[in-house]
Amino acid sequence: MGGRYFARKLLQAIITIAFIVLLNFLLFRLMPGSPDRVLARNLPLDVRQVLLERWGLDRPVFPDQFVAYFGATLQGDLGESFKFQGVSVVDVLAQRIWPTLLLFGFGEVLAIIIGLALGAYSGWKRGGPVDYVGNGISLILYSMPYFVIGMILLMVFSGGLGWFPTSGMFEMGATYGSFVDQLLDFLAHLALPLTTVAIGLIGQYSILMRASIIETLGEDYVTTARAKGLTEGYILRRHALPNAMLPAVTLVAINMGYVIAGAITVELVFGWPGLGTLTVEALNSRDYPVLQGVFLLLSISVVLANFAADLIYGILDPRVRT
Amino acid sequence: MTAASVSPANPRRERLRLRMHSAREFVGRFAQHPDGVIGLAILIVFSVLALIPTLLVGRLETATIASGLPLQGPDATHILGTDDLGRDILNLTVHGTRISMLIGLLATLVTVVIGTSFGIVAGYVGGVVDAILMRITDFFLVLPTFVLALILAPIVLDLIGSDALILGIRANLFVTVIVIGVTSWASTARIIRSQALSVRERMFVDRARVIGGSSGHIMRRHILPNVVNLIVANTVLTFAGAVLTETTLAFVGLGDPFDPSWGQILNAAESRGAPGLGAWWFFAPPAACVVLVVLAFTLVGGALDDVLNPRARLRR
Repeated sequence: MGGRYFARKLLQAIITIAFIVLLNFLLFRLMPGSPDRVLARNLPLDVRQVLLERWGLDRPVFPDQFVAYFGATLQGDLGESFKFQGVSVVDVLAQRIWPTLLLFGFGEVLAIIIGLALGAYSGWKRGGPVDYVGNGISLILYSMPYFVIGMILLMVFSGGLGWFPTSGMFEMGATYGSFVDQLLDFLAHLALPLTTVAIGLIGQYSILMRASIIETLGEDYVTTARAKGLTEGYILRRHALPNAMLPAVTLVAINMGYVIAGAITVELVFGWPGLGTLTVEALNSRDYPVLQGVFLLLSISVVLANFAADLIYGILDPRVRT
Repeated sequence: MTAASVSPANPRRERLRLRMHSAREFVGRFAQHPDGVIGLAILIVFSVLALIPTLLVGRLETATIASGLPLQGPDATHILGTDDLGRDILNLTVHGTRISMLIGLLATLVTVVIGTSFGIVAGYVGGVVDAILMRITDFFLVLPTFVLALILAPIVLDLIGSDALILGIRANLFVTVIVIGVTSWASTARIIRSQALSVRERMFVDRARVIGGSSGHIMRRHILPNVVNLIVANTVLTFAGAVLTETTLAFVGLGDPFDPSWGQILNAAESRGAPGLGAWWFFAPPAACVVLVVLAFTLVGGALDDVLNPRARLRR
């Protein structure tokens, strides 16, 4: 892959992350009350003095305070939570990131496989029954907030049928005989939120993929392939799909930002102990350092996802590497 | 769009005639999109609900004037049942229409004004200004703006106080409008900029510049009218997004309990555990409204896009 393409994309990602830190600094200034009060509520004077010096709060806002803030962020120091006194924001985040990663990692994978396959098929058989039904359902799912899907699933399969637990990641206060028991309990708790995430995403991905494949099937090289007498299946697999995947890769990455919004609400519905419920807890207790930490973590993840998409795009499509 | 006066005898009447003609043509072409017409019908119904909720279902019920018992299922007096405070769900949902649609409308206006200004200035002025504005735009495109909205909302709310009234709107709702507007203009700016770039190169813009029109004048009177088509289609889609964002913000607890929107009702249903209790009537009506309105906007937006921008690649 072209080194210059890689370097340019890397530089863009780094600049964007720098902007995010700057924005976080500005938010930190905007906060109600003076920043030193925000940083160090109810702390002994000497501790407060240390904090003031660390954040440069006894010096001018710019450049001193900004440099101090930037440096602290670079070192992974995001301050301390208001709600959990004495616990650093990084520790709070580290504790809550795994449930979210598991839920959305699996959810994304499921949705990408099913959604792209469904979209490709309905775009290929445009106007067919699968397209007609699939497109209608996708459009409705697209208009439906994730948490509504979650509430419906919760009511039917948990409240009504009682097949799955209603909330949390493990049974409260349960002790497990073996690792397998624990895993089964985890999977039972995971099933509904995972299905919600997957259903919510499948609608989006299949709409994207359908549009992309229809556009690709109209290209001249597809006509050429048909004229050569290749079978439709071969054209789809070898000519249309690889090219239609390109915009899909980018759009999946761009969609990450929206997915996160949905993520927060799904976790809330199922009491899933991840970053989403953490965000809402922090919101309700006005735990600003944690909120900012969540924002920083999530925006950097999105930037990195976009960067990864650019790289994949560069590998898949040699034309953009100039 | 440029209504050149063909017969100098009565230019004003001529212009009116042209306007009427293009309006008729527009209606005719829009009517050829059945999904767009269905969407429009849905939106008209909801607009009526938003305009005269009190005439239709009486005044907004509160805990003190609740008309039923807590969590009653649907029956003859309460067609959609009651919530945990005994309030009629139909009453709440119809009143919620006004709040959800109003916030959606205002947030859309803020979004479109910011996005259009950014787009036109970047596209017309070009050079360094363009580069800077577009970097800011790209930044906002990448950001998970919903999370930004989540942080921004409580900060702004604490700054202005949550009981304040701004322009006759409760602070909570006002902040929601501003926060949605500030975080969702980026894609509008991108679309408008690309169109402004091409309009800038046309002859009439050169002409206006040569006879001494200022940049501000040219942007307002020459560029803006020529990007209006794009703005209209984009506005409708933005509206759908704004309604969804408002619902989600209210759902996570940033709504106003005294002016319940659909999202706020959903939040109440969720926090009282309605899904686990099987109280589907508590959350199904507001949820259905959200889905219908967003779907309707999406359909109308798609149809408008087809009619107004025929050259755009058909995506459906």
